[in-house]
Amino acid sequence: MKRLLGLLILFTVVIGLALYLSLPTQENLRSLGEFYLKNSYFGNYSAKSPEVVTSILWDYRGVDTLFETSVFFLAIIGSLTIFRVEMKKKERGEAKSSLPLPVPVVTKFIATLLLAISASIALHGQVTPGGGFQGGAALAVAPLLIIAAYSKYALENNGLDKTKAIVLRSIGLLGIVLIALAPLLSGGYAMQNQPIFPAEALGVPLGGSLVYYNIFEFLAVGAGFTAVFLLLAIPEEEFKRKGGAYE
Amino acid sequence: MSEILFYLGAFMIIIGGICDIFGAIGLLRFPNFYIRLHAATVGTIGGAVIPLFGTSLLALGADFLPHKYAIAGASFVTGVIVLLAAPAGATALAYATHKAKLVKWEPKVDDLAEVRRND
Repeated sequence: MKRLLGLLILFTVVIGLALYLSLPTQENLRSLGEFYLKNSYFGNYSAKSPEVVTSILWDYRGVDTLFETSVFFLAIIGSLTIFRVEMKKKERGEAKSSLPLPVPVVTKFIATLLLAISASIALHGQVTPGGGFQGGAALAVAPLLIIAAYSKYALENNGLDKTKAIVLRSIGLLGIVLIALAPLLSGGYAMQNQPIFPAEALGVPLGGSLVYYNIFEFLAVGAGFTAVFLLLAIPEEEFKRKGGAYE
Repeated sequence: MSEILFYLGAFMIIIGGICDIFGAIGLLRFPNFYIRLHAATVGTIGGAVIPLFGTSLLALGADFLPHKYAIAGASFVTGVIVLLAAPAGATALAYATHKAKLVKWEPKVDDLAEVRRND
Protein backbone atom coordinates (compact mmCIF):
# COMPACT_ATOMS: atom_id res chain seq x y z
CA MET A 1 0.00 0.00 0.00
CA LYS A 2 2.84 2.35 0.92
CA ARG A 3 4.59 1.56 -2.35
CA LEU A 4 1.37 2.21 -4.24
CA LEU A 5 1.02 5.61 -2.54
CA GLY A 6 4.59 6.54 -3.49
CA LEU A 7 3.92 5.46 -7.05
CA LEU A 8 0.75 7.54 -7.15
CA ILE A 9 2.58 10.64 -5.86
CA LEU A 10 5.39 10.15 -8.38
CA PHE A 11 2.86 9.72 -11.17
CA THR A 12 1.02 12.93 -10.18
CA VAL A 13 4.28 14.87 -9.96
CA VAL A 14 5.43 13.67 -13.39
CA ILE A 15 2.10 14.47 -15.04
CA GLY A 16 1.95 17.86 -13.28
CA LEU A 17 5.50 18.73 -14.35
CA ALA A 18 4.73 17.64 -17.91
CA LEU A 19 1.68 19.89 -17.99
CA TYR A 20 3.57 22.78 -16.37
CA LEU A 21 6.60 22.50 -18.62
CA SER A 22 4.74 21.72 -21.84
CA LEU A 23 6.23 23.75 -24.63
CA PRO A 24 4.16 26.43 -26.34
CA THR A 25 3.10 25.50 -29.84
CA GLN A 26 5.33 26.92 -32.52
CA GLU A 27 3.24 29.19 -34.71
CA ASN A 28 5.81 30.27 -37.29
CA LEU A 29 8.79 28.56 -38.86
CA ARG A 30 12.16 29.40 -37.37
CA SER A 31 14.43 31.18 -39.79
CA LEU A 32 16.95 28.31 -39.90
CA GLY A 33 14.21 25.78 -40.63
CA GLU A 34 12.80 28.05 -43.31
CA PHE A 35 16.23 28.34 -44.92
CA TYR A 36 16.68 24.58 -45.01
CA LEU A 37 13.19 23.96 -46.35
CA LYS A 38 13.55 26.61 -49.04
CA ASN A 39 16.97 25.49 -50.18
CA SER A 40 16.69 21.73 -49.86
CA TYR A 41 13.83 21.37 -52.32
CA PHE A 42 12.98 24.66 -54.02
CA GLY A 43 16.30 26.47 -54.30
CA ASN A 44 18.51 26.76 -57.34
CA TYR A 45 21.23 24.65 -55.80
CA SER A 46 18.99 22.05 -54.22
CA ALA A 47 19.10 18.33 -54.90
CA LYS A 48 15.31 18.29 -55.48
CA SER A 49 14.96 15.65 -52.80
CA PRO A 50 11.67 15.66 -50.87
CA GLU A 51 13.44 14.05 -47.92
CA VAL A 52 15.01 17.02 -46.16
CA VAL A 53 16.92 14.98 -43.61
CA THR A 54 18.88 13.07 -46.25
CA SER A 55 19.60 16.19 -48.24
CA ILE A 56 20.88 17.98 -45.13
CA LEU A 57 22.89 14.92 -44.15
CA TRP A 58 24.67 14.50 -47.48
CA ASP A 59 24.45 18.03 -48.92
CA TYR A 60 24.69 20.61 -46.16
CA ARG A 61 26.66 18.49 -43.73
CA GLY A 62 28.27 16.21 -46.31
CA VAL A 63 31.82 16.54 -45.07
CA ASP A 64 30.66 15.87 -41.51
CA THR A 65 28.89 12.70 -42.65
CA LEU A 66 31.92 11.66 -44.69
CA PHE A 67 34.10 11.91 -41.58
CA GLU A 68 31.53 10.02 -39.52
CA THR A 69 31.64 7.26 -42.12
CA SER A 70 35.44 7.27 -41.92
CA VAL A 71 35.26 6.87 -38.15
CA PHE A 72 32.96 3.88 -38.66
CA PHE A 73 35.44 2.36 -41.10
CA LEU A 74 38.34 2.91 -38.74
CA ALA A 75 36.34 1.14 -36.01
CA ILE A 76 35.72 -1.82 -38.35
CA ILE A 77 39.38 -1.92 -39.39
CA GLY A 78 40.37 -1.87 -35.72
CA SER A 79 38.21 -4.85 -34.89
CA LEU A 80 39.46 -6.70 -37.98
CA THR A 81 43.04 -6.24 -36.78
CA ILE A 82 42.26 -7.40 -33.27
CA PHE A 83 40.50 -10.59 -34.40
CA ARG A 84 43.02 -11.59 -36.99
CA VAL A 85 42.76 -15.33 -37.50
CA GLU A 86 43.99 -17.11 -40.60
CA MET A 87 41.53 -19.79 -41.67
CA LYS A 88 42.24 -22.63 -44.02
CA LYS A 89 39.40 -23.58 -46.34
CA LYS A 90 39.31 -27.26 -45.38
CA GLU A 91 38.73 -26.67 -41.73
CA ARG A 92 35.23 -25.38 -41.97
CA GLY A 93 32.68 -26.91 -39.69
CA GLU A 94 29.24 -28.16 -40.46
CA ALA A 95 26.49 -25.67 -41.18
CA LYS A 96 23.61 -27.34 -39.43
CA SER A 97 21.14 -25.85 -37.05
CA SER A 98 20.72 -27.51 -33.69
CA LEU A 99 17.62 -25.48 -32.87
CA PRO A 100 14.05 -26.83 -33.22
CA LEU A 101 12.67 -26.79 -36.75
CA PRO A 102 10.59 -23.56 -36.72
CA VAL A 103 13.60 -21.40 -35.87
CA PRO A 104 15.84 -22.13 -38.89
CA VAL A 105 12.89 -22.18 -41.31
CA VAL A 106 11.61 -18.80 -40.13
CA THR A 107 15.15 -17.43 -40.12
CA LYS A 108 15.58 -18.35 -43.78
CA PHE A 109 12.35 -16.61 -44.64
CA ILE A 110 13.05 -13.48 -42.61
CA ALA A 111 16.63 -13.17 -43.85
CA THR A 112 15.30 -13.12 -47.41
CA LEU A 113 12.66 -10.54 -46.49
CA LEU A 114 15.28 -8.43 -44.75
CA LEU A 115 17.34 -8.16 -47.93
CA ALA A 116 14.36 -6.66 -49.76
CA ILE A 117 13.34 -4.40 -46.88
CA SER A 118 16.84 -3.05 -46.26
CA ALA A 119 17.29 -2.38 -49.98
CA SER A 120 14.02 -0.46 -50.02
CA ILE A 121 15.08 1.57 -46.95
CA ALA A 122 18.36 2.47 -48.63
CA LEU A 123 17.06 3.13 -52.15
CA HIS A 124 14.16 5.24 -50.89
CA GLY A 125 16.46 7.41 -48.80
CA GLN A 126 16.06 10.43 -51.06
CA VAL A 127 12.24 10.24 -51.02
CA THR A 128 11.20 8.91 -47.62
CA PRO A 129 12.92 8.74 -44.24
CA GLY A 130 15.70 6.19 -44.14
CA GLY A 131 18.95 6.11 -46.02
CA GLY A 132 22.15 4.24 -46.56
CA PHE A 133 23.26 3.80 -42.98
CA GLN A 134 19.86 2.65 -41.74
CA GLY A 135 19.44 0.30 -44.69
CA GLY A 136 22.92 -1.11 -44.17
CA ALA A 137 22.27 -1.69 -40.48
CA ALA A 138 19.04 -3.52 -41.39
CA LEU A 139 20.92 -5.54 -44.00
CA ALA A 140 23.51 -6.65 -41.46
CA VAL A 141 20.76 -8.19 -39.31
CA ALA A 142 20.21 -10.89 -41.96
CA PRO A 143 23.67 -12.54 -41.61
CA LEU A 144 23.47 -12.02 -37.85
CA LEU A 145 20.20 -13.99 -37.73
CA ILE A 146 21.71 -16.74 -39.89
CA ILE A 147 24.75 -16.91 -37.59
CA ALA A 148 22.46 -17.21 -34.57
CA ALA A 149 20.12 -19.83 -36.08
CA TYR A 150 22.65 -21.94 -37.98
CA SER A 151 26.30 -21.07 -37.50
CA LYS A 152 28.85 -18.87 -39.17
CA TYR A 153 29.76 -21.81 -41.39
CA ALA A 154 26.34 -21.58 -43.07
CA LEU A 155 27.40 -18.19 -44.44
CA GLU A 156 30.93 -19.26 -45.30
CA ASN A 157 29.89 -22.43 -47.12
CA ASN A 158 27.54 -20.32 -49.23
CA GLY A 159 30.33 -18.00 -50.29
CA LEU A 160 29.99 -15.05 -47.92
CA ASP A 161 33.20 -15.17 -45.94
CA LYS A 162 35.16 -12.45 -44.19
CA THR A 163 37.32 -11.59 -47.20
CA LYS A 164 34.33 -11.07 -49.48
CA ALA A 165 32.61 -8.90 -46.90
CA ILE A 166 35.73 -6.75 -46.60
CA VAL A 167 35.95 -6.46 -50.40
CA LEU A 168 32.30 -5.34 -50.58
CA ARG A 169 32.91 -2.84 -47.80
CA SER A 170 35.92 -1.44 -49.66
CA ILE A 171 33.84 -1.11 -52.85
CA GLY A 172 31.29 0.89 -50.87
CA LEU A 173 33.92 3.20 -49.40
CA LEU A 174 35.57 3.67 -52.79
CA GLY A 175 32.20 4.52 -54.31
CA ILE A 176 31.51 7.19 -51.69
CA VAL A 177 34.93 8.78 -52.26
CA LEU A 178 34.52 8.70 -56.06
CA ILE A 179 31.06 10.27 -55.88
CA ALA A 180 32.45 12.93 -53.56
CA LEU A 181 35.31 13.71 -55.96
CA ALA A 182 33.31 13.43 -59.22
CA PRO A 183 32.10 17.08 -59.25
CA LEU A 184 35.74 18.27 -59.33
CA LEU A 185 36.05 16.91 -62.89
CA SER A 186 33.30 19.15 -64.24
CA GLY A 187 34.36 22.30 -62.49
CA GLY A 188 32.42 21.95 -59.23
CA TYR A 189 33.55 21.61 -55.63
CA ALA A 190 34.12 18.37 -53.75
CA MET A 191 30.84 16.84 -52.51
CA GLN A 192 28.79 19.30 -54.54
CA ASN A 193 25.43 17.99 -55.66
CA GLN A 194 23.52 20.13 -58.15
CA PRO A 195 23.76 20.66 -61.05
CA ILE A 196 26.41 18.01 -61.58
CA PHE A 197 24.18 14.99 -60.99
CA PRO A 198 20.73 14.56 -62.60
CA ALA A 199 17.87 15.38 -60.24
CA GLU A 200 15.56 12.68 -61.61
CA ALA A 201 15.51 9.85 -64.08
CA LEU A 202 12.41 8.31 -65.74
CA GLY A 203 10.16 10.37 -63.49
CA VAL A 204 11.75 9.04 -60.29
CA PRO A 205 13.34 11.69 -58.06
CA LEU A 206 16.96 10.71 -57.50
CA GLY A 207 18.03 13.64 -55.37
CA GLY A 208 21.17 14.17 -57.44
CA SER A 209 24.09 12.44 -55.77
CA LEU A 210 22.05 11.41 -52.71
CA VAL A 211 20.93 8.10 -54.20
CA TYR A 212 24.50 7.09 -55.07
CA TYR A 213 25.78 8.01 -51.62
CA ASN A 214 22.93 5.96 -50.14
CA ILE A 215 23.66 2.91 -52.30
CA PHE A 216 27.37 2.89 -51.49
CA GLU A 217 26.82 3.60 -47.81
CA PHE A 218 24.30 0.73 -47.76
CA LEU A 219 26.88 -1.64 -49.22
CA ALA A 220 29.66 -0.43 -46.99
CA VAL A 221 27.76 -0.48 -43.70
CA GLY A 222 26.05 -3.81 -44.38
CA ALA A 223 29.25 -5.56 -45.43
CA GLY A 224 31.30 -3.94 -42.66
CA PHE A 225 28.94 -5.11 -39.94
CA THR A 226 28.79 -8.56 -41.57
CA ALA A 227 32.58 -8.86 -41.48
CA VAL A 228 32.65 -7.98 -37.78
CA PHE A 229 29.80 -10.39 -36.97
CA LEU A 230 31.63 -13.18 -38.82
CA LEU A 231 34.75 -12.50 -36.77
CA LEU A 232 32.87 -12.32 -33.48
CA ALA A 233 31.22 -15.67 -34.25
CA ILE A 234 34.54 -17.56 -34.30
CA PRO A 235 34.43 -20.16 -31.52
CA GLU A 236 36.90 -19.38 -28.75
CA GLU A 237 38.61 -22.77 -28.96
CA GLU A 238 39.37 -22.26 -32.61
CA PHE A 239 40.60 -18.75 -31.95
CA LYS A 240 43.08 -19.99 -29.38
CA ARG A 241 44.17 -22.92 -31.53
CA LYS A 242 44.97 -20.66 -34.47
CA GLY A 243 47.29 -18.55 -32.37
CA GLY A 244 44.95 -15.63 -32.05
CA ALA A 245 45.57 -15.35 -28.35
CA TYR A 246 48.50 -16.08 -26.05
CA GLU A 247 47.89 -18.43 -23.20
CA MET B 1 -16.78 0.75 -47.55
CA SER B 2 -14.26 3.04 -45.92
CA GLU B 3 -16.41 3.15 -42.76
CA ILE B 4 -16.40 -0.64 -42.48
CA LEU B 5 -12.61 -0.63 -42.88
CA PHE B 6 -12.32 2.12 -40.25
CA TYR B 7 -14.41 0.30 -37.64
CA LEU B 8 -12.72 -3.04 -38.34
CA GLY B 9 -9.26 -1.47 -38.06
CA ALA B 10 -10.13 0.43 -34.89
CA PHE B 11 -11.59 -2.76 -33.37
CA MET B 12 -8.38 -4.64 -34.15
CA ILE B 13 -6.28 -1.90 -32.54
CA ILE B 14 -8.46 -2.07 -29.41
CA ILE B 15 -7.99 -5.87 -29.33
CA GLY B 16 -4.27 -5.17 -29.51
CA GLY B 17 -4.42 -2.88 -26.47
CA ILE B 18 -6.35 -5.49 -24.47
CA CYS B 19 -3.88 -8.22 -25.45
CA ASP B 20 -0.99 -5.98 -24.39
CA ILE B 21 -2.57 -5.46 -20.97
CA PHE B 22 -3.13 -9.22 -20.57
CA GLY B 23 0.42 -9.90 -21.66
CA ALA B 24 1.78 -7.39 -19.13
CA ILE B 25 -0.32 -8.84 -16.29
CA GLY B 26 0.75 -12.34 -17.29
CA LEU B 27 4.42 -11.38 -17.27
CA LEU B 28 4.02 -10.07 -13.72
CA ARG B 29 1.82 -12.80 -12.27
CA PHE B 30 2.71 -16.07 -14.00
CA PRO B 31 4.81 -18.41 -11.86
CA ASN B 32 7.77 -19.50 -14.02
CA PHE B 33 9.76 -18.71 -17.11
CA TYR B 34 7.99 -20.98 -19.59
CA ILE B 35 4.50 -19.73 -18.76
CA ARG B 36 5.74 -16.14 -18.76
CA LEU B 37 7.06 -16.76 -22.25
CA HIS B 38 3.50 -17.55 -23.23
CA ALA B 39 2.36 -14.18 -21.84
CA ALA B 40 5.13 -12.42 -23.77
CA THR B 41 3.96 -14.05 -26.99
CA VAL B 42 0.39 -12.94 -26.28
CA GLY B 43 1.81 -9.43 -26.01
CA THR B 44 3.63 -9.64 -29.35
CA ILE B 45 1.13 -11.54 -31.49
CA GLY B 46 -2.05 -10.10 -30.02
CA GLY B 47 -0.59 -6.75 -29.10
CA ALA B 48 1.57 -6.00 -32.13
CA VAL B 49 0.51 -8.13 -35.10
CA ILE B 50 -3.25 -7.60 -34.87
CA PRO B 51 -2.99 -3.79 -34.40
CA LEU B 52 -0.57 -3.65 -37.34
CA PHE B 53 -3.10 -5.44 -39.54
CA GLY B 54 -5.74 -3.07 -38.13
CA THR B 55 -3.55 -0.09 -39.03
CA SER B 56 -3.24 -1.34 -42.57
CA LEU B 57 -7.05 -1.66 -42.84
CA LEU B 58 -7.45 1.84 -41.37
CA ALA B 59 -5.00 3.25 -43.88
CA LEU B 60 -6.80 1.52 -46.76
CA GLY B 61 -10.07 3.09 -45.61
CA ALA B 62 -8.67 6.61 -45.19
CA ASP B 63 -9.16 8.33 -48.54
CA PHE B 64 -7.71 11.65 -47.34
CA LEU B 65 -4.35 10.03 -46.54
CA PRO B 66 -1.51 10.56 -49.01
CA HIS B 67 0.40 7.38 -49.89
CA LYS B 68 -2.22 5.24 -48.19
CA TYR B 69 -1.23 2.08 -50.05
CA ALA B 70 2.39 2.51 -48.96
CA ILE B 71 1.34 2.83 -45.31
CA ALA B 72 -1.04 -0.13 -45.57
CA GLY B 73 1.56 -2.31 -47.28
CA ALA B 74 4.33 -1.40 -44.86
CA SER B 75 2.24 -2.18 -41.79
CA PHE B 76 1.01 -5.43 -43.34
CA VAL B 77 4.55 -6.60 -44.14
CA THR B 78 5.74 -5.60 -40.66
CA GLY B 79 2.84 -7.54 -39.18
CA VAL B 80 3.73 -10.66 -41.17
CA ILE B 81 7.36 -10.43 -40.10
CA VAL B 82 6.46 -10.10 -36.42
CA LEU B 83 3.92 -12.91 -36.82
CA LEU B 84 6.70 -15.16 -38.09
CA ALA B 85 9.49 -13.99 -35.82
CA ALA B 86 7.72 -13.99 -32.44
CA PRO B 87 6.92 -17.75 -32.25
CA ALA B 88 10.33 -18.67 -33.62
CA GLY B 89 12.02 -16.43 -31.05
CA ALA B 90 9.92 -17.85 -28.22
CA THR B 91 10.73 -21.40 -29.38
CA ALA B 92 14.43 -20.62 -29.50
CA LEU B 93 14.33 -19.06 -26.00
CA ALA B 94 12.43 -21.99 -24.49
CA TYR B 95 14.72 -24.50 -26.19
CA ALA B 96 17.86 -22.70 -25.04
CA THR B 97 16.71 -22.42 -21.42
CA HIS B 98 15.67 -26.05 -21.36
CA LYS B 99 18.96 -27.14 -22.90
CA ALA B 100 21.05 -25.05 -20.51
CA LYS B 101 18.91 -26.19 -17.53
CA LEU B 102 18.63 -22.61 -16.35
CA VAL B 103 15.05 -22.93 -15.13
CA LYS B 104 13.68 -25.73 -13.00
CA TRP B 105 11.19 -27.69 -15.03
CA GLU B 106 8.03 -28.37 -13.07
CA PRO B 107 5.35 -29.63 -15.44
CA LYS B 108 1.81 -30.11 -14.21
CA VAL B 109 1.11 -32.45 -17.12
CA ASP B 110 3.84 -34.16 -19.10
CA ASP B 111 2.22 -35.67 -22.16
CA LEU B 112 5.49 -36.86 -23.64
CA ALA B 113 6.42 -38.83 -20.54
CA GLU B 114 2.96 -40.43 -20.42
CA VAL B 115 3.18 -41.49 -24.04
CA ARG B 116 6.62 -42.94 -23.46
CA ARG B 117 5.42 -44.83 -20.41
CA ASN B 118 2.49 -46.35 -22.31
CA ASP B 119 4.64 -47.45 -25.25
